[in-house]
Parts: sequence; structure tokens; C-alpha cells
Amino acid sequence: MKFIKSIFPLLLALLVTIGWDNSWGTLPPFGKLLSPFHGFWVNAEKASTEEISEENLDIPGLLKPVKVVYDEMAIPHIFAENDHDLYLAQGYITAKDRLWQMEFQTHFAGGRISEIVGEKGLASDQFQRRMGSVYGAEQSFEGMKQDPQAKVALEAYSDGINAYIASLSDRDLPLEYKLLNYKPEPWTPIKSALFLKNMSFVLASGTDDLKMTNILRQYGREVAEDLFPNYPFEESPIIPTGSPIDFKPVPIPAAPKDFIGLGSAMQTPEKDPNIGSNNWAVSGNKTVSGMPILANDPHLTLSLPSIWYQVQLVAPGVNVYGSTMPGTPNVITGFNKNIAWGVTNVGSDVLDWYQVKFKDAKKLEYWHDGQWKKTKLRIETFKIKGGKDFVDTVFFTHHGPVVYLSHEKAFKSNIPVGHALRWIAHEKSQELTTFYRLNRAKNYTDYTEALRYYSAPAQNFVFASNEGDIALWVNGKFPLKSKLQGKYLMDGTDAAADWKGFIPQSHNPHVKNPARGFVSSANQFSTDPSYPYYLGWQYAPSERGRRINERLTAMQKVTIDSLRGLQNDNYNIRARKLLPLLLRSVKSNDKALSEVKNWNLQNAPESIGATIFETWVINLQSFLWDDEFGADEKIPMNRPAIDRTIHLIEHEAQARWWDNVKTKNIKESMDQIIETSFKATLDTLAKQHGPMGPEWAWAKHKQTGVRHLIPGMDALSRLHIPIGGGGSIVNAATTKTGPSWRFIVELSKTGNPKGYGIYPGGQSGNPGSSHYDDLIDTWAKGELKPLLFMDTPNQSSNRIRKKLTLSN
Amino acid sequence: MQSLTLRIIILISVGALAGLYLPWYVMGVQAGVLAFLLKFPIKTSFRTGFIAGFLLWALAAFWMNSNTPSALPERMANLLPLQGQVSLLYVVTGLIGGILLGFWSWAGARLR
Repeated sequence: MKFIKSIFPLLLALLVTIGWDNSWGTLPPFGKLLSPFHGFWVNAEKASTEEISEENLDIPGLLKPVKVVYDEMAIPHIFAENDHDLYLAQGYITAKDRLWQMEFQTHFAGGRISEIVGEKGLASDQFQRRMGSVYGAEQSFEGMKQDPQAKVALEAYSDGINAYIASLSDRDLPLEYKLLNYKPEPWTPIKSALFLKNMSFVLASGTDDLKMTNILRQYGREVAEDLFPNYPFEESPIIPTGSPIDFKPVPIPAAPKDFIGLGSAMQTPEKDPNIGSNNWAVSGNKTVSGMPILANDPHLTLSLPSIWYQVQLVAPGVNVYGSTMPGTPNVITGFNKNIAWGVTNVGSDVLDWYQVKFKDAKKLEYWHDGQWKKTKLRIETFKIKGGKDFVDTVFFTHHGPVVYLSHEKAFKSNIPVGHALRWIAHEKSQELTTFYRLNRAKNYTDYTEALRYYSAPAQNFVFASNEGDIALWVNGKFPLKSKLQGKYLMDGTDAAADWKGFIPQSHNPHVKNPARGFVSSANQFSTDPSYPYYLGWQYAPSERGRRINERLTAMQKVTIDSLRGLQNDNYNIRARKLLPLLLRSVKSNDKALSEVKNWNLQNAPESIGATIFETWVINLQSFLWDDEFGADEKIPMNRPAIDRTIHLIEHEAQARWWDNVKTKNIKESMDQIIETSFKATLDTLAKQHGPMGPEWAWAKHKQTGVRHLIPGMDALSRLHIPIGGGGSIVNAATTKTGPSWRFIVELSKTGNPKGYGIYPGGQSGNPGSSHYDDLIDTWAKGELKPLLFMDTPNQSSNRIRKKLTLSN
Repeated sequence: MQSLTLRIIILISVGALAGLYLPWYVMGVQAGVLAFLLKFPIKTSFRTGFIAGFLLWALAAFWMNSNTPSALPERMANLLPLQGQVSLLYVVTGLIGGILLGFWSWAGARLR
């Protein structure tokens, strides 16, 4: 008894010590986290002052000292004496600001989130690996290493990150490690490949094939082709109609037999229509300065830390400024003394599904081209925090991994049917070489040479040089397909359905110095239907592209500032066409109706008309199509696009689709559906925001936010940002996505390019730094910051705040 | 004979050194060891450790935030969630330190 009495307080002491040293479910390790000597308190950073601070750091592995100069936005300008040191320093400096993000994003890409968050990450992890993310990264890594320069960059970058990781004690760890209670592991070069592959996930993994097959099975080919046409009614393609074709097309493979297939109950990830981008370059004869100006704004998920990290990289043979992606060496989009380049995504179809016929439930053999062929097995092991390992076997056909298996969902057949994935992201590739060369490119020839190495995700590479050239290549590796091949699920037993090689890179759609004086892209169709190859049937809606082309055609005496205006353009070109058509059908005399009637078609932050119109479009699509295309959860289908709806309103008022098939004995007319959707819109908005008033303002309704990468971390996010725009607007800010890096560059004959840029975040990934989110307000206002382009580390500027010397 | 105040001062001083150079929980363990070696009276041992721990953690946190002001404490006070009240965050930090040192001090005194 006495013993228990004397030991009892010790047990209590041990209990709180162990309890607070560990995380429990979502509860952080309170002791470690709150300790003023070890926890988050240590992560606070002093704001920089006007006084320049200097510091020396020992970095193992450097061949020569490296100078790093930070400006007032905490953007590092790195000066090295050779490539190796340049990329080592880039890795070190990037990790210093963004280590947690770099590791978290590559864990996500590699299907390893459950190692950090436990069981709840498993579904995402399993999907990533079934899609072959690690397999793709391994392939890609093999390709990257074949270029000696890219290999040096990749390995030195990795060494730099590891030098930073090695310098950290527990109390220096970034905040998120403390919150989630884990430690960084050493970086490896393959993680850079994983990161780049993940961009294919973000930009080129959306797929409609299985849903389209469900539609085919339900309504037949004629309806499917009528409602899901292969070229939009309104379009302004990236390569202007009539651009010369400077190559002799190779023969197109014969089309495989028509195949209907089994369809799927799987909810495949759709293309996010809000992930896209704008870019353009205006030739010198349209600008005030007489020099080309280039602009770019990639629209990605807005996050903290930001997906982008600005840097200037200087070494013999290179002086480049721009945005990098933490996790990969080189500048991804930016400019040097001679050229500028930017990217937008290409919506071509580079991901196809094949229905696989297995011999038996063991799935070791599948039927193809008249014989049983062996599957390859890849065992994927998932480590789960606080749980047992989970093992998944992924079956590979010659197409690629079998992602979906019928017996994993309710299918009737005993022998499983699989859906195998053929995806460009699984090809060996050399994207790093492209960026390495673009960083050093001096002219159009260097630019086209750099592009030859690029596979995926395909991008519209816009280009301008101080020699006066502007150009745009729709660039990537595109499968050589028969027309519409891969629009629907394909027959995995039919050899004729296989991909038959690739379109020669020099035949990729491109345009140089067009007569109209500008090139542009906004994810719309790459070309008009006269292009000799089939690239895909569905691209992003054409509104942004049409608006940009309309404005650039009209604009003369272009300046950086007038292009900044275009980046922030809130004009709703969809409403210009659609709204008058809708208003014809609405009879009610409502205050809200006059609000939307008198709306100036600007998706401005305070606009109420924009809120009504945008909500109306969503409701209309749902009222018109959901009875036929959204009725059965087990048979997921797509709705026809808004472009098709507009055509239906304009020309097919009597179409069968207007009738709501769920209401028996009533035949709804077009007018009824439009009017009902309008009333429903007002009801929804009144329910959400109360009676019509300032609360209905577009920015308040839309709620653009820049959210921390950990879902639900509102305390580390910036929400309720007052910004206009929208998904089909040039200023493409939506609830969760938007212009993730806006920049504009005017080139100069004398090698003094003027760059302006902004992204919605800050250079530091540390929520305890004043540079965590310091650029967001400027971004929301539509302003840009002048970018400091330096020649030497000793150059004086009142914008310099800190100087580092890194040496071994 | 040590006074309560002296014991508190000793715990805070050694605790601060431990905090600066050793893992976080050593701040607790040192209180146990000192309570054992310096023969803290059992009756007041928890109180002694608690006051020392509360002061050490809360004041150190306050000092950290004054020395390096940032938006982080407010963000953390939203996260935990304490309605963004940094003053509450000092109290919670102090309580964690207080309970830690309190239990250990009690344990050390009890074991003797």
C-alpha cells in the first residue's frame, strides 16, 4: 500500500510526459508543441528590417562559396560559380523556406500520406499507387539521369536539401512536423521525379472515358456524339486558324472496331475545369516600347505554402529569374536576359482506359491479340501510422496498371474485369532537360531545342525573345491516335486499340510570329479541326481564350500595365451570349431579375448580378441534364458542357432533353426549365445569404481562399479574400483555385528585362514568418511587384535585406 | 531550510537550462530529481513544481513572443482553438508546464 502511494505521483508524471510527447488521433503532442523552448514558439521569425544582415553558413558538398542575396519579399538571388553549386544552393535555400511542403507533396505523390496521418490517408495513397505514380516516377527518373547536366542538377539539388535537413535539430523543425509529430527523412533525387509526375496528376489525370462509356451504353452512340461533340460551337483555337503547316504528316493508324464495354460504377476523378492557365506574348509592333511582352498566369489550387517559389539563379552560362516548384531544380516559368517563357496546360487526351479480360480470378493472364499474356505484378506496401502495414498487388498489362477491378465494386461476373490505364505519365521522360535548357536559352532555336525533351504534362509553351520573336508550341508527347480513339473505354483484347507510337515532336501544333501580332493560350482547343492529327475531343471551355484573343486583337500600344489589366479582366463573355437567351424565358417581375438584367457583365467582387448569373448557370445545367445524366449514382455520367447547352437553347427548343423525365405525365418546356432554374437560384441564394443585398456580393458568395495544404487547417489559411473573377473569366479566381503566379516580362535589347510578378502566398512556408502570406493582399488587388533582376551579388539596391555566404 | 520561493527559483533556473539544451520532458524530470535530492516537503511539492512550471513556461513563452513578435501565436490560438486569444495561449502553455513540473516534483518528493 505504501509502495503504491509513493509510486502513484510518479505514474502520473510519466503519464503526462508520455501523453504529451505523443500525438493522439488529431491531437498534437501538447508538451513538445507548447514548450517555449522546443515547440511552436521557437518557429517565430523576426521581420526583416531595412538594415542589411549578413550571415555565413557551412554547407558540406559545395565546391566554391555561393552568395545568396534576399530582397524585401525574401526572394533569394543565388550566385554560384558552377552548375553543381548552383543547384545545391537552390536545394538548400528552397528547403530552408519550404522543407515540410516539399516532403509532404512528394509523400502525397508517392502514395505515402498514411505514414503521416494514419488510416485515413490510405484510400488516397492506394489510388496514387494504382495509378502508377511511383512506377511513372521511376521511369521518368531513368530518363532524367541520361542527361548528364540534368543528373548533376538533380543530385546536387538533393544534396542541398539533405544538407539543410542535417542542420536541423528537433526544435528547429518546421511547424507542421511539430503539429503532426514526425521528422523529415533524407531527400532522394527520385522525389524530384515524383513531384514532376504529380504535375501530370494535377493537370492531366482527369478522365471521362468510363463515364462516356456509361452514356454510350445508356443512350447509344448517336446521342453521345450529339451531346458531347468533338469541337465546340464557339472556339478560338490556340494556333490561329490558317496558320501554315510546315511538316508532312505521318500516316494515321486505322481505327479499332467500335467497342461498347462494360462501363463502370467507379467515380473517376474528373478534369477540374478551374485548373487551367492563361498566357500570351505580344509582338513588338503592338507594344509602346517596340519590344515583345510576355504574360502568364497558371491557375492551380491556391495553397499555403504556395506551389511556387521565386528565385533568381546565376552561374556561368545562366542568369534566370522566375518561379520554381519546391522539389525540383531549375526555374519552371520565367525569363532571362534574352528570352521569357510561360506555360498553360494542354487538355489533350493522354490517358486512356482498356477493359481487360483476365483468364481467371488469379489475374495472372489476360487476353490480348488472340493469346493469353502474362500480367506483371507489383507489390505495393503501405506503412500506416499507428497501424499494421497494408499490402496491395497491382497488376500490370502491357498498357499499364489495372487501376480498377470489377470485383472491388458490385459487378456480377465472377472472373474479374479490370480497367487498365494507358497514360503518358508512365513514359520515360526528360522534362528537367527542357527546363535546364530553357533557363539558358538565348533565342527561338534554343527554345525549340529545349522543348524536344518534354513529355508530360503537355504544356502550351509561350515564348518571346529580345530578337523580336514571339511563338507558342503546344508541346508534349502525344500518342498517335485514330480519330476519337480513347474517347470511350477501349477493348483491351484488341491490338488495333493499342497506342501506335507518338506524333513526331516537330509536328506538334505551333505558331511563330503570326500576322495578328500576338500568340496566346488558355487551355482551349490547340488547333481547329484542320490539324492532321487527333489530340482529344474535349478541352477547357473556350471563354477565357476567346476573351483574351478578343482583347489582344483590339489592344494597340500595349504596355506591361495594360496586360496587367487583361490578367485581371473580370468580363463575363459567357454571360454576354447566354444571359439574353435566358432572359427571354423569364416572365416574373422580380427585383433580382432587374439586378441581373442591368448587370454590367463584370464578375466584380461587389457584383450581385454575377452571383445570380453564375448560380443560375449551375442550376440550369442541373435542372436540364440531371434527370437523364445524374440520376443514378451507380452509373456515373457527365453532363453535356455549357457550350452544348447554349446551342440547345439557341437552336433546339423542342429537344427531348428539356422534359424532366422524372415528372410523369408532365412535359416541361425549355421556358419552364429556364424559369424554374432562375427561381431555384433566388431561393438558394436567399437561403444562403438572406434577402438580396450586399451579402449577395460575388466575392462574398464565391469565397476565394488560400488554404493550408493540410485539409481543414483554417488557422493557417487565408479565407474570405475579396477578389472577383471566376472559372470562365480571365481573372480565374474561384473558391479554391486561381492565378497561382501572375507575371509579365518586357524584354530588352540590352539585356535588362523588366519583370513584374506576384503569387498568392509568400516565400516562406513558415506560418511564423512575416513572409508566409505577405503577397496575398497585393495579389487580391490585382497588382504586381517589380522583380529584382540582378547581375552581381554586390550590386547595390535599397531592396536588399539579407546576404548569405554559403561555403564548405 | 529552503523557503518555497527558493525552491521555485531553483526549479525555474535548472528547468530553463534543461529547456535550452535538452529534450522538453527533461524540464519535468529535473523537477523530480531536485525534489528528491533537495528533500522537498511532500505536502507542498506539487504546488512548488506547479508554480515553477507555470511561471517558467508562461514567462518564457511571453519572452519569446516579445523578443520575436509574429503572427504565429495568434494563428496557434486559433488552431487550438482559443479564439485567437494569445493571452489564453500563455495560460495554456503555463498550465502544461505547471502540471508537468508539479507532478514530477510531487513524484520526486514522494519517492523519498
